[in-house]
Amino acid sequence: MTMTTPDQIGSVTPARRRPYGLLLVATPVLLVLWLIIWPIISAIITTLWVPTPEGSAFSIETYRFFFSDGYSLSNLSITLWTTGVCAILLLVVCLPIALYLRFSNTKVAAYVQGLAIFPMFVPSIILSFAFIRVLGPNGTVDLLFNAVGLPKIRTPYLTPWGPVIGLVWDNIPLTVLILLSGLGNVSNQAIEAARDVGAGRFALLWHIILPRISNSILVAISFAVLGIFSAFTLPYILGPAAPEMMGPFMQRTFRDLYDPQTAITQAVITFGFCIVFGLFYVRSVAKNRAA
Amino acid sequence: MAATLTHRKIDWTGIAFAVVLTLIIVFPLLVVGTWAFTNVWRYPSVIPQEFGLRFWEQTLARADVWSSITMSLTLAFTVTALSAAICLPAAYAFARLDFPGRNLLFFSFLAGHAFPKFGLLVAIAGIFLQLNLIGTFWGVVLIQLVGTLLFMIWIPVAAFQSVDRRMEEAARDVGASPLRVFWSITLPQAGPTIAAAILLSFVGTFYETEGAWLIGAPQVRTLPVLMISFINNQPVIQYGAVLSVLLWVPSFIALLFARRVVNSGSFARGFGG
Amino acid sequence: MSVLSIKDVSKIFPNGNVRAVDSFSLDVADGELVCLLGPSGSGKSTLLRMVGGFETPTSGVMTIDGEDITRLPPEKRPTGMVFQSHALWTHMNVFKNLAFGLKLRKVSPDEIKRRVEGVLELVGLGGYGTRGVGQLSGGQQQRVALARSLVLEPKILLLDEPFASLDQHLRERLREEVRDIQQRLKITTLFVTHGQDEALSMADRIVVMRDGRTEQIDRPDVVYREPQTPFVAGFIGTMNLVEGTVSNGIFSRAGYSTPLPVSDGPATLAIRPEALDLAAAEDGGQGKVHRVTDYGTHGLVDLDLRDNTRIKAMVSHPDLFKAGQGVTLKPRAIAAYRDNALIHRA
Repeated sequence: MTMTTPDQIGSVTPARRRPYGLLLVATPVLLVLWLIIWPIISAIITTLWVPTPEGSAFSIETYRFFFSDGYSLSNLSITLWTTGVCAILLLVVCLPIALYLRFSNTKVAAYVQGLAIFPMFVPSIILSFAFIRVLGPNGTVDLLFNAVGLPKIRTPYLTPWGPVIGLVWDNIPLTVLILLSGLGNVSNQAIEAARDVGAGRFALLWHIILPRISNSILVAISFAVLGIFSAFTLPYILGPAAPEMMGPFMQRTFRDLYDPQTAITQAVITFGFCIVFGLFYVRSVAKNRAA
Repeated sequence: MAATLTHRKIDWTGIAFAVVLTLIIVFPLLVVGTWAFTNVWRYPSVIPQEFGLRFWEQTLARADVWSSITMSLTLAFTVTALSAAICLPAAYAFARLDFPGRNLLFFSFLAGHAFPKFGLLVAIAGIFLQLNLIGTFWGVVLIQLVGTLLFMIWIPVAAFQSVDRRMEEAARDVGASPLRVFWSITLPQAGPTIAAAILLSFVGTFYETEGAWLIGAPQVRTLPVLMISFINNQPVIQYGAVLSVLLWVPSFIALLFARRVVNSGSFARGFGG
Repeated sequence: MSVLSIKDVSKIFPNGNVRAVDSFSLDVADGELVCLLGPSGSGKSTLLRMVGGFETPTSGVMTIDGEDITRLPPEKRPTGMVFQSHALWTHMNVFKNLAFGLKLRKVSPDEIKRRVEGVLELVGLGGYGTRGVGQLSGGQQQRVALARSLVLEPKILLLDEPFASLDQHLRERLREEVRDIQQRLKITTLFVTHGQDEALSMADRIVVMRDGRTEQIDRPDVVYREPQTPFVAGFIGTMNLVEGTVSNGIFSRAGYSTPLPVSDGPATLAIRPEALDLAAAEDGGQGKVHRVTDYGTHGLVDLDLRDNTRIKAMVSHPDLFKAGQGVTLKPRAIAAYRDNALIHRA
C-alpha cells in the first residue's frame, strides 16, 4: 500500500520532465546561438572595437570609411534602387495575379496559380542561365526580333536592370502566396455586402479589399526586401561589375580582397538598413504561428 | 444568378495572365531545355541547325561535373540527415513537452530571418575565419545546416501537434510503452508532413548557392557553384544548358511531391502571409 | 472476477488549486456497470482517466482485484479504454487496430487472427478487418474502438462518453448493444456520461458527481425516485425545485403553501412534474398558467407562482387549462432538502 502526500508527486513529476525537454531542443538552439546570434553580436563588436597600437578601442572608423567612400556609397545606392524598384514591380505584378486568383475558380485560374508558384521550383542559378540565353546578347529575343526584321534589343544583361528582372521573377511565387493568404481573410460576404450597397470594382478594391490585406502587403514587401537587399547569386551573375549590389560587394571584399573587417562592416550596414523590415517580418510570422 | 453567368463567360483576364506568365516563366526554361539537346545552333537561325545529345556525352564526361554532383549529393544528404537528427527530437519536445523558456526558444529560430541573408552569411564567415572553417566541407555543412533549422523544426512541430493525443493514449492503453507509441503511432501519423519537410530541406540544401560560394569555394565545389563558373567562363553554351537540366531534377521531384503542401494556405502563413 | 476499488482519490491540477476530483471513493463489483454521471467539469472524466492511468492522482489509492495500480503507467494496467473521439489509428486498417495490442503481448499470429475475428463478430463487424478506419461510419468506428479494447480482455472496461459524437438514433442503438455485450462478457465497466438517459438505461449503479465529489451512488431507479440532494434531484429528470421557508410544519413560498413536517427553517421543495396535479381555481389560486403545451400523449403546463417562480406540471388533459388561468397545486409526492441533504420524503 503506497501512501503519498500531495507535495511529493506534485514536485517530482515536473522536475523530472524539465531537463528532458530542454535536452532535446539543446542542439538546434545552441546552433542558433552560435551561428546566428553570436555572429551578429560579434560583427557589431569587431567593427566597433578596432585594434590600435595600445590595444583595441572603440572607433567608428570603418563605418566612417564606408560612408565617405564613393564606390561603397554608389554600391549602396544601386542596392537601394534595385530593392525599391523590385518591391514596386513585385506589387504591380503580383497584386493583380493574387486578386484574380482569389476571385476566380476556373481551370485557367488553376493553371495561372501553378505558373505563379512554379519559379519556386526553379533554382535561381538556372534562372540566371535562362535569362542570359533569352535576353542576353544574341539571345532568343534577338533571334526572334532579327527574324521579323527588327533591330537587336539593348540587353539588360550586365546592367542594373538584369538583377531587377531576375529578382522579380524569383520572388513572384512567395509574394503571390502571401498576398493570396491575406486575401483569404476577405470574406465573400464582406464583398457581396459592399456590392449590395453599390460599390463598383474600384471602390471595392480601395475601400474593402486593400485595407484588409494591408498587413499582408507589408509582410510581402518586408520578405522581398530582406531577400533582395543582400541578394547574391542573381546580381553577381546578371548585374554590372561596377557599381555592384551589396551581396556581390561583400563577397568580393571578403574573399577576393581578403578584408573581412570591411566585409563585416558592410554586413552590419545591410542589417541596419533592413532592421525595420526584418523585425516587422519576424513579428508577423511569430504572430501567425502563435495564433 | 450572376455567379452562374460569370462562370459561363470566357475568362479573358485569366487567359491574358496565362499567356503572359507562360511567356515569362515557361518560355525561358524551354529555351534552356532546347539548348541542352542542341548540337549546333548558330546565330541568326530561329531554330537550332542540329539537334542531338552530343553535349550530354561531353558534359557527363567531365570530371568536374561528376565531382560536383557527388559533392552536392554528399552535402545535401549530410546536412539533411544531421538536420533531421537534431531537429525532429527538438520538434517533438516543442510539440509535446513542457519546459522553461519553451516559447522563447521556439521563436528563437526566427532570428536568422530578421536579417538579410547574405549579410548574415558574411558575419558567420567572420567567425569561421577564426576557426579555419573557410574552404572546408564541414564549414559548408554547418552554414547550410543553420539554413534548414526553421523549416525542420516548425513544420514537424505542427505535424506532431496535429496528432490526436487520444490516439497516443489509446496506444498506451493497449500496452505500448511511450517509445513504442512514438514509433508506431505518432511518427506514422506525422509522417507525410515530416517527409515533406525533409524533402524541402534536402532540395533547399542542394540548391544552396550563397553559403557554398562564400564559405566553400573553390575547395568545396557544389553543382550550383560549378554552374556559376560555367556561366562566367564557359564559352560552350550547351555545357551550362545540360547542367541546368541535370540540376533541375531534384527540384522536379520536389515539385511532384510538395505541390500540395505549397498550395495549402498553411504554407504561406508560415511565411507570415 | 475483477473488482475495482477507489479510495480517497483526489486530483489537483498543477495550474490552479481546483480539486478536479475531491476525496472520491467507489467500489465497483465484479461484472457491474457503473456510470459516472455529472455535468462537464464535475471531474468524472478526470476520475476515469486516473483509473486508466492517464492522470496521476494527487492522493489516494486505486486497486484492481486487490492489486495497487495507483502508480502504474497505462500500458501496465489491466484496463481498456474507449475514447470519446474513438481515437482509432487512421494509418492502420481495422484488423491492425485490433491486433496492435495483441502483437505487443507477443500473441501468435494465428491466435491474433482468431481473437480479432471473434471480437469483430461480437460487435457486429465481422469481415470488416481489411477496411480502412476512414471508410467506416461514426457508429462503426466507435464499435471498432470498443472491439479494440475488448480484444485484450481487460479486467476493467472504461468508456469515456463513447457516444457523444453520434446522433440520437445511433446513440440509443449502440447503448443497447454495449449493454448486451457487457452483460454477455460480464465485464466490470466504468462508464462516463453527461447524459442521464444513457446512465438510467445502462447502469447497474449511477454515481452522480458534482465539483469532483460524489452526490449520490445508487441504482438508477433509486437515484430517480429518491434523489439525496437537490442537485441530483435537478440533474436527473425534470424537477421543480422551490426554495422557501418552513414554519410550524408548513412550507410556504409566494402564496403557495403545503404541509411539511420538519423543523422550522429554510427548505427546498422538490416535486416531479408528473407528480404534480393541478386544479382550476376561481379566486386566482396559488399560481397562474403561463403556457400549455400539448404533446399528444400528455400535456405540459408552465405556471408561475406569485413571485414568478416557474413550475412545470405534467397533465393528462391539457385542454382543461389555458394561459392566464389560476390554478391550485396538488403534489402527489414531494421531497424536501435542507443544507444539501434530504430531510423529508412523502
